[in-house]
This record gives sequence, structure tokens and C-alpha cells, in this order.
Amino acid sequence: MNSIADRALNAAQLAGASYADVRVVATRSQFLEVKNHRVSALQESTTHGLGVRVLAGGAWGFAASAVVDQREAERCAAEACRIARASAPFRRAPVVLDPLRPLEARYETPVAIDPFEVPLADKIELLARATNVMEGEPRVVVARGSMNFWEDRKLFASTEGRRIEQRIVHSGAGLSAAARSDDDLQWRSFPNSFGGHYEAAGYELIERFDLAGNAAATAATAAALLTAPQCPAGVSTVILDGSQVSLQIHESCGHPAELDRVLGHEANYAGTSFMTVEQCGRLQYGSPLVHLVADATAPRGLGTFGFDDEGVPAQKVDLVRNGRLVGYLTSRETAPLLGQGSNGTMRAESWAHLPIIRMTNINLEPGSGTLEELIASTEDGILMVTNRSWSIDDRRYNFQFGTEVGWEVRHGRRGRMLKNCTYTGVTPEFWKRCDAVCGPSEWEIWGTPTCGKGQPAQTMRTAQGAAPARFHDVQVGVGYGS
Amino acid sequence: MTTRAPDALAPLTGDEAQHVLSEALAMSSAAEDATAILESRVQALTRFANNEIHQNVASRQQALTVRVVIGRRCGVASTSRLDSSALRQVADRALALARLTPEDDELPPPAPAAMVAPLERFAAATAACTPEERAQAVGPVMQAAAAAGLNAAGALSTESICLALATRGGRFAYHPETYAHFTCTVRSDDSSGWGDRHRRDWRELEAAPLGATAIRKAEQSRVPVAIEPGAYTVVLEPSAVAELVAFLAWLGLGAQSEQEGRSFLSGRMGQRITGESITLVDDATDPRGFGRPFDYEGTPRRRVTLIERGVARGVVHDRRTAARAGVESTGHACAPPAVEGPLPYDLVLGTGDATIEEMIGSTERGILVTRFWYNRVVDARRTIVTGMTRDGTFLIEGGRITRGLRNLRFNENVLDVLARADAIGRHAEPTVFDYAGNCVIVPALRTRDFRFTGVAPF
Repeated sequence: MNSIADRALNAAQLAGASYADVRVVATRSQFLEVKNHRVSALQESTTHGLGVRVLAGGAWGFAASAVVDQREAERCAAEACRIARASAPFRRAPVVLDPLRPLEARYETPVAIDPFEVPLADKIELLARATNVMEGEPRVVVARGSMNFWEDRKLFASTEGRRIEQRIVHSGAGLSAAARSDDDLQWRSFPNSFGGHYEAAGYELIERFDLAGNAAATAATAAALLTAPQCPAGVSTVILDGSQVSLQIHESCGHPAELDRVLGHEANYAGTSFMTVEQCGRLQYGSPLVHLVADATAPRGLGTFGFDDEGVPAQKVDLVRNGRLVGYLTSRETAPLLGQGSNGTMRAESWAHLPIIRMTNINLEPGSGTLEELIASTEDGILMVTNRSWSIDDRRYNFQFGTEVGWEVRHGRRGRMLKNCTYTGVTPEFWKRCDAVCGPSEWEIWGTPTCGKGQPAQTMRTAQGAAPARFHDVQVGVGYGS
Repeated sequence: MTTRAPDALAPLTGDEAQHVLSEALAMSSAAEDATAILESRVQALTRFANNEIHQNVASRQQALTVRVVIGRRCGVASTSRLDSSALRQVADRALALARLTPEDDELPPPAPAAMVAPLERFAAATAACTPEERAQAVGPVMQAAAAAGLNAAGALSTESICLALATRGGRFAYHPETYAHFTCTVRSDDSSGWGDRHRRDWRELEAAPLGATAIRKAEQSRVPVAIEPGAYTVVLEPSAVAELVAFLAWLGLGAQSEQEGRSFLSGRMGQRITGESITLVDDATDPRGFGRPFDYEGTPRRRVTLIERGVARGVVHDRRTAARAGVESTGHACAPPAVEGPLPYDLVLGTGDATIEEMIGSTERGILVTRFWYNRVVDARRTIVTGMTRDGTFLIEGGRITRGLRNLRFNENVLDVLARADAIGRHAEPTVFDYAGNCVIVPALRTRDFRFTGVAPF
């Protein structure tokens, strides 16, 4: 692979590139799904390709191909240079990158059990056992269990002398049950929705879940939701479980902290951001309890790596400290506009895609206490658990979320189960109402495997670390009222 | 005018595809039945923001998928490499997976032989579009925005694609197609406007006029005011209607969700589910759309009436759901592993006789919505969806647009929105959803009592 990378870089320079990098990526994935007594999916995929990114005439060009040989590497380099030169007349100013020194490095996701070495029969047996248990609940019409595994082997090389090899492994699994009555349908998932829980880890993660041991409760909750009372409409204190806090962070802090969004680069598609540059250091984003970091060095996260796809080392940086906006997710092109160096957040979905700023692991630092202690200290409210619905405007102000299940909280105790729980708000006002965050024992690094952004659209796997948290005076029960 | 670069790549020809697929099938000879599917895609996209081109990309992607059947067991594997060594590996892996899979009592038999009528979906000009031509097309949009003191962002993309499928039984189907898209957002300090178009021939995108529309909307919506949430008459432009109608596909117009009891249609076939003026079909042959002539099982696509004058009439099938229902496949199998079952990919909503101008002109008080954004399902069975307005939301008073509005959040039952429609546009526009690849062809419509539940600060 190194010779192919060298050929691409040489060709780019000969074609007039002032800078070039090349990524040669081989990805292997495995997806299994067992549903209603049947293996409904068992698929393995491999992709292999290269992408060449160049600066020529002060503009970017990028070309990629699924054919990985020296001739195609040269062709991609030449095409990328042609594309850059076509763009150059429509630049207002040349692209300037923050400098990087030459470096050779390697990184591998720590994996205890290689998920691709675990026999398929064992995986199928585990999913079949768990879904069979769920099917024992008479009102369950869909009992589904799935596993996903990905392995990326990436070589990055640049004309600045960076040469980095990485092996990134992600694993995930989960269960979901749909229960039905004459007039309703309710889903319950374990350990999370979106197909389960995902980490940068091997099969040891799957063994940690105890899927079969949690199947009966998952199905029973789905069935119980059919007869549970509707979430009331009004204003309430809300306790969100860690997984829901995770998605709240993803949508209302992670995305608006992407500096390309802030600068308008995503204005036509993903949108912009209310966290504008002039507000950095001044905007009161949340209550003083709210400390958010972007930490690509955190163990186990889907945003954990050694280097980003520009060859910048993984870093931990503050985004919100004591409730105040203090930083952004940046790249080599955008960081100099703030007088900074890149904090290493550029990632591409595959070899075929241009790296763009993506969330790494956006973590809410833990506070103190357990969920049960938090409930015990809450006079009146609603506990909402596991995301079901999510929506937010293109500047990341107005959001609405729904959860699979909720419980009344009365006089410090968990009360009746509630269905169709929803809440809505405006991002900084909501986070200013955060009056408690649970402690390290409740904290988990939750994976989001399907984050969309960019044109052409790219899907990325990100993570958000979170513990359950409490928010007061929240509008709840929206969506169903007249 | 620039010429096509001699080294630019086109998707595989029919002969090239047939050669690859034949070789893959030959390597799957240990299976009792086998299907090989090849998708080859050449994609280019010029992206601009802040009135300059900031990203500009091209890629050549390909995927070969081999699906083999041994007894009642099935295995699927795919690869991006098309050399003989890779074809051997992917065939062997599919066979290995099939041997490891438990027996599937509902595994449908191979698709019967069928004639596939070709659909002309390939525009040579799109396949030949150069980066220079793309830059020259978006340049005037940025210049016009800058001249107006505004900020333009958007993208012009072109794709040429081939889908080919071959079976052990000797079937071969090949479909070349092109796709082109221009999208543009123009912003001022406190407003934005939008223009967007999907075509097969990139020369029909008309970037400059769409940019002018975005500029006009951005200027017209300056100094937006907040309006109280509540129920309003709304005039929805085609893009806004498309966002709502597209959800129906996922929420219940595929047979799998109907058979599992998850669909809003479950138990309601033959009943009135929306307004009498609403007819919704899936029609891959509609000349305005991007439909393909066959599905991922090689079955020719059929036109399916889903909702006829407000009455639930049907769902789309693949071979598995068709066997369960005792009917024939309608040719709507999705790409393996197709966990959601068959889905309608070419929805067409029947048109009416009104223009948008007439809808606005006959509205005493209401809201014009350019588009909806970040729409998500709140309640699948009840087809309740939430989302935000974006890039041009206007107050209508006395039959004319009077000012821009801050963006609003809605929560609405899609079938009820259609049922309350009192005017439907005479012109329908295709919208392609890039995350799913499906196309929705819909007109504008006006509907009463559309429920807005929140307002954004901008």
C-alpha cells in the first residue's frame, strides 16, 4: 500500500499540487439480524479503495476509486488536481492549513476478542435465544436481535511526511420488541435503540450485555406500554437516562460545536449553528454544572482513534466549561481562523468520501450520585428513557425528543409507567435548566452509529459520554395534543 | 465549453457487467441457486458556501453482491473489488455463510423468468459533465448572491450509475441511469431562501434561476416575526409535501410492515384512510422520476395503487412477502439484506388543478412553507411526524405574502394533513432523498388546521 500512496503523492505534486494526502482504506463489516424465528440478515461486506485530496491553485480537489493500483492512484491524483484548478477561480482566498511536522505512527483499537473470529453459529445462537424469549410475550409481534461489526484498516500519507496506519474496530448489538394491541404499537429496546449499544471494542462488548438475560424484561415492557397512560402535556421536571442525555448532547452540543457548521460550510444541508464565533467565551450555554468535552482519547468510544483523517493526533478539548461555550471541533483549514491548531476531528465515512469535521466523543462530565438518589431527591417529574424520536432545527435551537418509555416520579419515588413521552425546548434555555448530573457509576459512553452530514451525504459513527441528568421546567407531552 | 477528460470514468457497460456477473456466478457453482448484483457509480459534486467553492469531489464506487441458496439456506456477501481473486473470495464467503445459516422455511423460490422492459434513464450529458462545467454553472449563483449582499451555499452533483443483475437460471438485466441535483441556500443576516431541483439531465437543472428564487426568498423573508403556535392554513410547496409523503413509504406501504401489524394500513385495507382527493401510486415508469425497471430480485417493477381516492388499496411486495400473502411480487425488493422488506421507491401523488399563486391568492390568513427539515416519526402507527420549517416561511394575509416568519415546529398526522387538503397543485415535482435513494413526485397543496407546536428564535 505504501508504494501506491507514494505514487499518488508524487503524481499530485507533478500535477501542481501544493499539498496532497492519500488514504487507502480497507473496510470489513458483518451484520446479523434474527427476527421472529428466522435469521433475517447475515451479510458480510468488504470495500477497498483510495482517496486523494489535493490543494492546487489554493483550492481543494478530491478524487477516489475502488480500483487500488498504481495507475489508478496516479489517475485519481491527476483528477483531483484538475478538480482543484476548476474550483480555484471561485475561491475568495486560498486555503491555508495549520502546519504539521512529519511523523510516522500506528494505532489500533484495543480489542480483547476479535469479533470476526467469533463463530457465526455462536452469534446466531445468542440472538436466537434472546429473541425466542421475547417471542414468549403474547403481545409481541416483532422480536428482533442484531449485531454489527466493522473493521477499518487505514493508511494515511501526505506530502508533508505524515504516514499513519490505523486499525479501528467497532462492535455493537441490541434487542428490540414491538408489542401490538388493536389501536397501538409500542417498541422497547435493549440496551439502546438504533440497534443497540456500540463501542470501539471487540466481542467482549457483546458478552457484557447479557442479551438473553434482558430479553424478557424488554418484551414485558413493550407489552406493558400498550396499557400505560399517555405522557401528560404540560411543564415538568424531567430526568433523562444516560442514553437520552447522549442524544441530547449529540444534537444540541456536538453538531453546533462543529466549526464548519459555525462558518457556514454546511448551510445548504446540515445547517449552521447558534454557537457563533463571536460568542465563544461569552455564551452561557448551560448551567454551571454543564461541562462538555470533545475527547477522541476516551476509551471505548466510537469517536476514539489515534489520528484523524488529516493525520492530526486525537485530542481532548473543552467545548463547554462551567456552562460557558469555550471551544469548537476544528480542522487544519478552520482552526487557523480562530488562531488555533486543529484539534483533530476530520473523518470520512470511507475512502470514497472527503474528510469533514465530525464529532469524536462528546462527553458530559459526570457529577455525583446515582440515578436512584436523583429520583429520591425529585419531588415531582418524569423519568424518560431510551430515544424513540429526535428532531432539531438547522441552527440547533429548537428540539423535540421522544422516548420509548417513561415513569412518573412522585415524592422521590418512581411511579406509573408512561407511554409516548416527548419533550421540547430551545437548546441554551434547556441546558441552563440542568440542575443535576449523576456520577461516574452511572456514566456510559453511548454510541451513535448513523450520524449524517455532508454533501455527498456521509454517515459517521460518533459517541457521547453521559450519565442521567435532571432538567426543570421542561415542556412535555407535545405531539399528541390537539 | 470544455471537453470530457480522456481518463474520466464511466460506469460499467452492459457487456462489462455481464462478464463480471457471469464469472461470479460460475464461482458460486456449489450453490443450488445464485444471484449476482453489480452496482457501479461515478459521482461528482461541486459544493459551495460563503460565495466560494469549498469542496469539490469525484469518486468511482462499485459493489458486487453474491446471494447463494443451498437447500433452504441463504448467504450473502459483497465486495468492492471485481478481480477474479475477489470474485472467488466473495462467492466462497457467501457459500460459507449459507452453510452456517439455519434453514429458512419461508425462503422463496428463485424468481421466474420475466421480460424486463427497459427504461430510458441515461443522459449522456450528465455522465460527461466536467468539473469546469459544474464550476461555471454554480459561479453565477454565487456572484448574484454576492451582488445582493447575500451569502450562497449549495451543491451541484452528477451521477452515472449502472445496476446489473444475473441469476443462475440465465437471467441478465442491466440498467444504466444518470442523476443530477442542484440545491442552493441563500442567507442574509436574519433570513434564508432555497431552490432545489432533481433531473436526469444536468442541463435541465437551471442553477441560475433556482439561485434567483433562493435570493428572492431570502430578501422577502428579512426581519422575520414570530407567530404564535397553533393551527393554521398552510400552503406547502412540493418539497414540503414530499417530506411528509415520503414517510408513508416507511410507515406502512411495504408489505412487511403490513404483515407484521406495524403499518398504519394493517387491518385497514379497503377502508378510507385519508381524503377523497388523495391518490397515491408507486410507478417506476413515471417519466418525471428516476425509477428502475427491475428490483434486486430481478422482478420487473409493477405500478401499484396504494391509496385510491382516499381508500387503502395495496402495498408493495418482494418475493417473500408475496408468497406469504399468496400474490405475485410487485418488483419492490430492496438491496440485500433488505431488513425492512419491500418498499415503494417511486411514489407519485395525484395532481389537482391549482397553482401555488392561486392557493396563496385565495388564502385569507395562512402560512407558506418552502420546505420542512429534520422530520422524524413521533408515532408510527398514527403517522405523526414532527419537524421544522426552513429557508423561507411566510405569512399570507388577504391573499398575498406579507412578511417572513420565524421558523416553526410542527407535529402532524400525515394522513390527516392530506385529508384536510382543499387545493392540490397541477404541477408535480420530483424529490430524491439521497439517504434512501427513493423518489417522491408530488404537487404543492393547501391544507387547513396544520398544527404548529413551537417557534424557533430565528
